[in-house]
Amino acid sequence: MTTSAHNTYSNIKSNLQVFLVSVATITVAFSILGLFLVIFVNLNSFLTTWSEKVQLVVYLEDEITDGQKQSLEQLISANSDVESMTFISKDAAWANFKNTFSSTKSDFIDDLKYNPLPSSYNLKFKPSSDRFVRIREFADLFKRRQGVESVEYGETWLGAFEKFMLFIRIFLLAVGGLLGLGLILIISNTIKLSFYARQEEIELMLLIGATPNFVRVPFMIEGMFQGLLGGIFALALIKSLQLYIKVQFQGSLQSIARGMEFQFISQPLILGLLASALFIGWVGSFIAIQKFLSSGNTK
Amino acid sequence: MIQLFNVGKSYGGVAPALIDITFSVKKGEFIFLTGPSGAGKTTLLKILYRTEKYDQGQVLVHGMNIGKIPDRKLYTLRREIGFVFQDYKLLAKKNVFENVAFAQEVIGANKKRIRFKTWEALKNVGLTHKKDSYPQQLSGGEQQRVAIARALVNSPKIILADEPTGNLDPEISIEILKLFEHAKKAGVTVVFATHDQDMIRSRNHRVVVIKRGQLVNP
Repeated sequence: MTTSAHNTYSNIKSNLQVFLVSVATITVAFSILGLFLVIFVNLNSFLTTWSEKVQLVVYLEDEITDGQKQSLEQLISANSDVESMTFISKDAAWANFKNTFSSTKSDFIDDLKYNPLPSSYNLKFKPSSDRFVRIREFADLFKRRQGVESVEYGETWLGAFEKFMLFIRIFLLAVGGLLGLGLILIISNTIKLSFYARQEEIELMLLIGATPNFVRVPFMIEGMFQGLLGGIFALALIKSLQLYIKVQFQGSLQSIARGMEFQFISQPLILGLLASALFIGWVGSFIAIQKFLSSGNTK
Repeated sequence: MIQLFNVGKSYGGVAPALIDITFSVKKGEFIFLTGPSGAGKTTLLKILYRTEKYDQGQVLVHGMNIGKIPDRKLYTLRREIGFVFQDYKLLAKKNVFENVAFAQEVIGANKKRIRFKTWEALKNVGLTHKKDSYPQQLSGGEQQRVAIARALVNSPKIILADEPTGNLDPEISIEILKLFEHAKKAGVTVVFATHDQDMIRSRNHRVVVIKRGQLVNP
């Protein structure tokens, strides 16, 4: 292990400039990826904040029977995702409506001789990551029930937002994949240059009885070290940017969505990013070395 | 220790590099491998060291059928053999001691053993006083002695030497030859390739002659 570490150090030292250029390239690439991740995380949190306010409103037909009402209430109480249920009668709904619009003093409300509003159940759901999906599934159940006029849960805009988030997810995966591929090629090339710088020594090592691993390990460590350093620098860069934006724009953000903060990527994502940096370094160096070892041992 | 049966090798040219080579070298034996330039001596040594593959025949080295050793296991063969090159193959950035110790390092020896074995190998070739010198500060003969120390430091069973005296004057050449003979006395099998007929005649070792890729009678 000590020998491998020493050899890694010698490799880096003999090719320092190329090593640093490679680390800088990895930093830039991971910063781009990280930036997209930060945007994604914050949009996701925006969606969560808004979807927490979403309630499912089940509007009832005027002709609903007591039996149908009971059956609906049973369905609601059987669902463990429902946090609370409020029944709003036709009269209460009308009173609320009039109360809300009393300031407008519209003659239209006073002139209306009948109550056009239906009675309804207002359902609040417990917080969970797939809360919106559950609300939608539950709403679909009500649509088919007798006595139900319609259901309402802001599906149009939440659905559009969800589609947008799905697009962002696919976009992130594609960008991440492409950047990863590019980085593998860059690291592979750096390791190749490092190899050529010490080719004579490496060939001699193999000739005098070094195991392939003895030759391979220092270069693998170098590749992984490059990846890791690039990943760490990129994270530091994004963190600084996030702090700057937070200080500058937190006030504006609060006015759009109360209680929302401009967030950094979560710890598992940070670890995931560093792990992929290590993995990319490993793959890049492995490709370079394997090619050399398979051609350099025997003609 | 070394057995070749009907070995053939071609690089795709008009004439094959080796044709139907069959001979053996006993344990602890010293042989001269000779023939004109381009006869196939180096190819034969490279085959024994498995830096070249052969096209036909069988080769056994220290009980190993070397054609069947996978690339990832080649080190098992090479640790049994010390190879001495005509151009020495010393590392310019390492001093004499480090060059010899390098052979111990790559097989994973510990520091104490590296120091001991390297010092012993340098003593055997009479170069302890030059341990801190770099290859470019040494004469050709001294450089070849460092290469021999490196080949011997891992106590190999076999030494393959490819024209080790090719770049040296006759007096130095005899000194170098004596180092190989000293190794033979210690039980090492030596294959010494040379086209120096005076050197061959001055000794009583078995001679294997190759001409145009074929074995001929001396």
